[in-house]
Amino acid sequence: MATILVHIALLAYAAGAAAFLTWLVRPRPALVQGGRVLLLSGVVVHFAAFAVSLGVAGAGLGVSEWKGGQLFSLLAAVTVAGYLALDFKYELPVAGAFVAPLTVAVMVPAHLVHSTAREIAPEVSHSLVLFLHVGAATLGTGALALAFGLSVLYLASEKQVKDKRPGRLLARLPSLDLIDKAGYRLAVWGFVFLSLAIATGSLVSRESTGATFPIAPKEGFAVLAWALFAGMIQARLVAGWRGRRVAMLVVAGFVLLIGTYVGLLSAAPALHGSVAAAVLP
Amino acid sequence: MTLICVGLSHKHAPIAVREQLAVPAEQLGHRLQELRALAGVKEAMLVSTCNRLEIFAVADGRQPSEEILASLGAVAAPHAVCRFDVDALRHLFRVAASLDSMVVGEAQILGQVKEAAAQAQQAGAMGPELSRALARATAAARRVRTETEIARGAVSVSSVAVQLAHKLLGNLAKKSVLLLGAGEMAQLAARELRSAGARELLVANRSSQRAEELAREVGGVPVSLEELPALLERADVAICSTGASRFVVTREAMSRALRARRYRPIFLVDLTLPRNVEPSANQLENVYVYDLDDLERAAAQNRDLRSGQVGKAEEIVEQELQVFLAQVRERAAVPVLARLRAHAEAVARAEAEKTLTQLRGLDEKQQKSVRAMATAIVNKLLHAPTRKLREEAGEGALGDAAAALFELDSPGPQPVPIPLPDPQPDPAPNPEPDPAQAPETDGAAQSSERAVLPLLRRR
Repeated sequence: MATILVHIALLAYAAGAAAFLTWLVRPRPALVQGGRVLLLSGVVVHFAAFAVSLGVAGAGLGVSEWKGGQLFSLLAAVTVAGYLALDFKYELPVAGAFVAPLTVAVMVPAHLVHSTAREIAPEVSHSLVLFLHVGAATLGTGALALAFGLSVLYLASEKQVKDKRPGRLLARLPSLDLIDKAGYRLAVWGFVFLSLAIATGSLVSRESTGATFPIAPKEGFAVLAWALFAGMIQARLVAGWRGRRVAMLVVAGFVLLIGTYVGLLSAAPALHGSVAAAVLP
Repeated sequence: MTLICVGLSHKHAPIAVREQLAVPAEQLGHRLQELRALAGVKEAMLVSTCNRLEIFAVADGRQPSEEILASLGAVAAPHAVCRFDVDALRHLFRVAASLDSMVVGEAQILGQVKEAAAQAQQAGAMGPELSRALARATAAARRVRTETEIARGAVSVSSVAVQLAHKLLGNLAKKSVLLLGAGEMAQLAARELRSAGARELLVANRSSQRAEELAREVGGVPVSLEELPALLERADVAICSTGASRFVVTREAMSRALRARRYRPIFLVDLTLPRNVEPSANQLENVYVYDLDDLERAAAQNRDLRSGQVGKAEEIVEQELQVFLAQVRERAAVPVLARLRAHAEAVARAEAEKTLTQLRGLDEKQQKSVRAMATAIVNKLLHAPTRKLREEAGEGALGDAAAALFELDSPGPQPVPIPLPDPQPDPAPNPEPDPAQAPETDGAAQSSERAVLPLLRRR
């Protein structure tokens, strides 16, 4: 049942992506409205799939294995939900043309390609801290993915203004000022959740391995990304940095964060993802 | 009924003629009532802008067009154009969609057409025919604006500057604009920014007296040019148009100001030659310098884009026009269809009753079945003719042929097969307006209010 729901959600995301991409070429408001409705339907069905899985897995804890695809599915759903909230507040259909195809690109391998099941250490399989850790990491990554998307849009459109060639992209976007502010706010929220994820991750690590700060690529990238975002926020608050400089830092921070996930999957530790495994089909 | 359009535009008349004919807003009501009082004119609307003066009227034939033309005066006669029926309708659609404008795609004309409709409504000159045509023309114009890029991008230097300011800074309500110098184009851009909602307009000039005068003219605050470093820290948009032969805003000065303004973006618009802003200042972060060439290039690009969209926009207008004409034709078919159906049903009823009196002893249910059978036969027989009449009504002789074939009596005036027929023919036709009928005319105008209101509400 849950698998069918996820496939329906994937179809809705794909149709939404098609609507937003068509809108880039043919700017009809109906396409944007259609895209929004499809993404909303997709995300509702997607979360319904999580709910069904959660029902199957009881409280969502106590699962002994997880798959990488499950984690990315959760990340995709959170990012789409975040985009819809962002679009509701700032009217950013261009970001939809970025987020929707990216979601499809993440979801297709996550669900259609077979991934190996990874064991979860029995010490933490019932841990509430692990649950919090996965939740915070997911929300933080979703917010930072959106901040990354806005930063890329900012950099591309700002280049058009600087080069004195205002084109279609600029015409479809709200003001650079608004993109800058929205991207920064998302980055701050992402930073808050990332901090929480690192703190709870440290506790999980201590519970399972006894080491509070293990030296591993995953942890290393996460701390580097955290430091970069912390520095960016500090520079914005103290020196007033904004615009291109901040956008580039957000892009760099998100790339580092991706390194964390690469580290997570390649090292195949038996920790993260237990909650995802519990709630995901 | 005939739709008449009499008028002239920038395409046919020079500005000297147009300015003589322009109708001030306070006189519009009076002019509309005069038009409405012309013999044969049922409905009228007057569109008066700086680029056109056009009268759209629904009348009992083409004859009133001469009187409408005469009402414009001798000065208009050599330049005015008269259009009728589909041509007039197409012109209305094209005008509303901004395809007939001097700057194709400009946004004001649709508002001006709607305003003209509101004035006509107020003066009691608007009726159902014009109202329906306007509603469709407005819908066509909206489709053109949303489905093409005809309205995208500004096409004049000052409006490009304002549009870019919006794109960079967003809402200008909290932004400060600095006007350096007194160039005309700079004043125009400053005024546009002010009317776009800029919080303050600071006016700096070498002469404090000139700064004060200019500030009064543009509704700004005079400031001293000596305070320039502080002004560069404060302003979000600076429009430079001084007569200085060297750079007034240097890269170095801007670099210093940037730190003090905590990297808040600034848009420097250089509208003079020799240039006032050092071009390399554009390389600084969050500093955007646009000179005359840059703005003109962007405007030309937008003009090209718009002209590339004209064909697509014309297609949409034509589609909407054909849909409207089809609706008009369908309405024209309704009276003939109604009479045909009434006639057939009367025959069926009479024959059924005749049969029932001969077939005695039928119970209630059986009698009902006989009547239903008669009705079913009529429905089946009339299905194809009804469809055909609806499809071709108003275009050919099918309606008349049906009336002649079935010997349908005319209950009133026959609908005239023209683009804007009256959907409900007057029970007592009165082709020549009678002054004594004036209260009735007002009543007709009031009864059309329901049809007009939806159009006005969409404004």
